[in-house]
Amino acid sequence: MVKKRKDVQHVVALTEPITAVEEATTANNIRTQLEDIKNYEGVVGYILRNSSSASIDLKDPTKIIDYAIISSSSIDAGQAISELFDLGQTKNVAVEGKNVKMLSFTVEENKISIFMDKNADSEKILKKLRSL
Amino acid sequence: MDNEIYSFALRTTLNEIQNLCPDIKNSFIFKEDGEIVAGDENTPEKTIVRVIDSFDGILEKAEALGGVEGITLESSKGRVNVCRMNDFYLVTVTMANADKNYVNTITRVLFPTVLKLVEKINSAPFKNESREPEPRPEIHIPEAMAKPAEEMPIEEPRPERPTRTLEPETKPKLTLPEPQINQLIVENIGGLLVPSDTVRIDNETLLHWQELYEDRKIEEAEIETFGGQSTRVKIKPIKDSKFEGKGIVQMPEKIQNALEIRKGELVRVKPVIE
Repeated sequence: MVKKRKDVQHVVALTEPITAVEEATTANNIRTQLEDIKNYEGVVGYILRNSSSASIDLKDPTKIIDYAIISSSSIDAGQAISELFDLGQTKNVAVEGKNVKMLSFTVEENKISIFMDKNADSEKILKKLRSL
Repeated sequence: MDNEIYSFALRTTLNEIQNLCPDIKNSFIFKEDGEIVAGDENTPEKTIVRVIDSFDGILEKAEALGGVEGITLESSKGRVNVCRMNDFYLVTVTMANADKNYVNTITRVLFPTVLKLVEKINSAPFKNESREPEPRPEIHIPEAMAKPAEEMPIEEPRPERPTRTLEPETKPKLTLPEPQINQLIVENIGGLLVPSDTVRIDNETLLHWQELYEDRKIEEAEIETFGGQSTRVKIKPIKDSKFEGKGIVQMPEKIQNALEIRKGELVRVKPVIE
């Protein structure tokens, strides 16, 4: 029994760092893509967060807290409502405001929200994001 | 109209909209403060409350986006759409393979029209009340809403006429009935041999007009936009069965341009009786 326990611990010890590295790599890839998207016409910034880190890049830093709450609420709402109506896995949530619209989605552990002007081309952004 | 009747009218509308468009699985309406206005018969109140709770965080911080106009949630098996209309939020849940345009036509065009109608009817009895001490006239909304939606291209409510209760009523002259006004949704019509001065309307509507004006041949209609533009056009029945019974007027691009409208917008259509 003791030996078996050791084996399990060993496996866990081996997989944890790999997962962490993979996660970091994915997050880095996403960040690179987001930096690219940030230069698209009308995009005003993004929020990227996972269990270990968060990156926020917004043109108007006074809105960081509000945008962070909307980002988090929309992703949580998406998951809760998908479960309620048995709609399967959430692909994305789009919130359209009078001035700004926000596109939120999840890639593995990474929760991403992109903020853009109302007239920005969100389809173009979605296409880019689907390649992640 | 009190809240109960108002809510009943909207609930009936939601149910009828689902009959018209079975792709819509659930629908309900709530106010900004979270109050449920009406829900369809498929959606339990408990579920509605949980959905509204889920949206709470977004709506609370909506000012940062300039106020929420709409929310769309896309999932692998379906879609949830929240659409703001005046003080209401209309929530619709559709399956993944639903026709987005059709659902949008219903939610963004038809529903606001029904809301306006209900509000107009809501305000009408109060106007009469101050002039006439007679009992309130009956409100016919629930019956009208109970009709299958396919049968009802929305009829424009006739403008109110001032009533003078003391004067004897003048007997109606034996003239033709007033031209019936229908509100229809503009749909494109394509093809090489499409005449640019002709629109296509439901055969059912044309037959109805023909019944009303038995001895007249109705070949033209007047189309009026909500922006005040109008034009006279020739009319023919819709050929494509998929557009039948949907309250649609198929219109060539030239007429749309002349009226400064486009696909999905509402227009008033009435027959020309000469």
